[in-house]
Amino acid sequence: MKKDLAVSYLFVLPALALVVVLLLVPMMQNIYYSFFDWDGLKAPVFNGLANYTRLLEDRDFLISMRNTLIWVVFTLVFPVLGGLLVAVFVEGVAGERLFKSIFFIPLTISFVATGIIWTYMFSKELGVLNHVFRLARLPLQPSWLTEVPLNTFSMLIAWTWQQLGTNMVMFLMGLGTIPVEPIEASIIDGANKFQTFVHVKLPMLRPITTVVITMAMVNSFKAFDIIYVMTRGGPYRSSETMAVTMFRETFTLFRLGYGAAIAVLLSVIVIAVSSLYIKRMAKRDLLYY
Amino acid sequence: MTRRVKRIPTYLILIVLALLWILPVWTTFLVSFKSSQDFVSQQFYELPTQVSFVENLRNVMKIYRLHEHFFNSLLYAGAGAGIAIAAASLAGFSLVRLKPPAFFLLFLVIYSGTLFPFQMYLIPVYRLYNTLGLYNTRLGLILIYGAICTPFALFVYRGFYTTIPKEIEDAAKIDGCGPVRTFFAIFVPQSLPPTAVVALFQMTWIWNDLLFGMVLSRTQNIRPIMVALATMSGYGGGNIPYIMTAVIFTAVPTILLFVLLQKYFIKGMTLSVAGG
Repeated sequence: MKKDLAVSYLFVLPALALVVVLLLVPMMQNIYYSFFDWDGLKAPVFNGLANYTRLLEDRDFLISMRNTLIWVVFTLVFPVLGGLLVAVFVEGVAGERLFKSIFFIPLTISFVATGIIWTYMFSKELGVLNHVFRLARLPLQPSWLTEVPLNTFSMLIAWTWQQLGTNMVMFLMGLGTIPVEPIEASIIDGANKFQTFVHVKLPMLRPITTVVITMAMVNSFKAFDIIYVMTRGGPYRSSETMAVTMFRETFTLFRLGYGAAIAVLLSVIVIAVSSLYIKRMAKRDLLYY
Repeated sequence: MTRRVKRIPTYLILIVLALLWILPVWTTFLVSFKSSQDFVSQQFYELPTQVSFVENLRNVMKIYRLHEHFFNSLLYAGAGAGIAIAAASLAGFSLVRLKPPAFFLLFLVIYSGTLFPFQMYLIPVYRLYNTLGLYNTRLGLILIYGAICTPFALFVYRGFYTTIPKEIEDAAKIDGCGPVRTFFAIFVPQSLPPTAVVALFQMTWIWNDLLFGMVLSRTQNIRPIMVALATMSGYGGGNIPYIMTAVIFTAVPTILLFVLLQKYFIKGMTLSVAGG
């Protein structure tokens, strides 16, 4: 029996060691570093909460924070609400499979590739969008990726193209689980399609909606790759978001303590947003046992 | 009749959206088939005068050595996901069936690795790797990818192993099977579904990773594929037909994975919705 106990711990050990050594200890070290002024070369100097108070006065960081909020709000409206609408439109339509796979294509491509493809789409002289504008004789030739604040919205278009499919798939999963009876009942009661959707389907979708919204918010708070590829956060740091600012402060400007503080703030936000849904999961897990 | 007429707006919206979604994919392919001359002299929708994809690809490999990064990333995806699969299936089996004291706490500790944004690990891991000599090594990247993938993999295996009926195991126990043999003879052979889900999601993630590759490696022979692709494009400069050819080249493995493991995709989505 004693041998079994040893085996049971031995089986957990590799996973535990990997996660503790490479993720959990670093996580705590990062919190520790955030209280220091440190360029990565000289010895770190303790400066208390100075890194955190500086966040409130740093113009670059405030712009980055504002951009991050734009990312989150835009994500909720376009990839999420848009994904829901597309799911509703697509469900049961002739050619459903074809439409679904079209919206699904971008999911198989990386964020880096998405960023590169859209950099070309948005390119000022050679890009497809400005080309279409010229063909349509529109007097518009915007600099999609260098004009502020247009560049942020251009990247959000690329982001929507990439993300909408995931949300559509999840909403379709949710719609698939709704039983027919309440929908039929509401139609018999004289509700039109829109009313049925708002009063019957939407409330029954709530569990999925919560998950989709949380995940979308968390992902948009963490957005990095697309921005790094399309604008590098520029011009003049105008299109950075929190994750990009953290990267620049740390690995370009070598303000490691300050970068660590941004990482901590980002974590606090992400964990606060996901806490709702962690609670649900924990509840379910306790029922499980 | 009226029902059909009513559906026309729905179709119109869907078709317009679908075309917008296809446009970037279609132009990517079109550009990758064009020579540099065609690309500059033609309208974007015109077909190339000659198909230059193979020549573009050859140049991409010659100039950017993209195939080297390609094989690096194949190694990282295979080994990283492999480590996570091995570590998580062992741990999952132990936590579900052997139930050592504090098994739920152990699960929470490992699973908490999915909670934090990656930015939280970058600085300390970068430091740690410099001290240990793991910076800019293949082993270093494999280990961090394995660590990042382990919590979700554990979640999947743990969930799956609770569904394996206890009777088989009890019978094995009576026959004198210890936990080690039970795991390898009974649990491992049944583990195809969770393994497929984990492999699909984690290999895709590792393949597509930019952040860790950028922070933890420096030289061409180590850097993963997405870092190479991102550096290729610069600020939208460079030879666009080459870059688009590279985009297609680097997307082949993930697209193949999705096609081959399609039926596990929804399952994985459901699982990551439930807990990831």
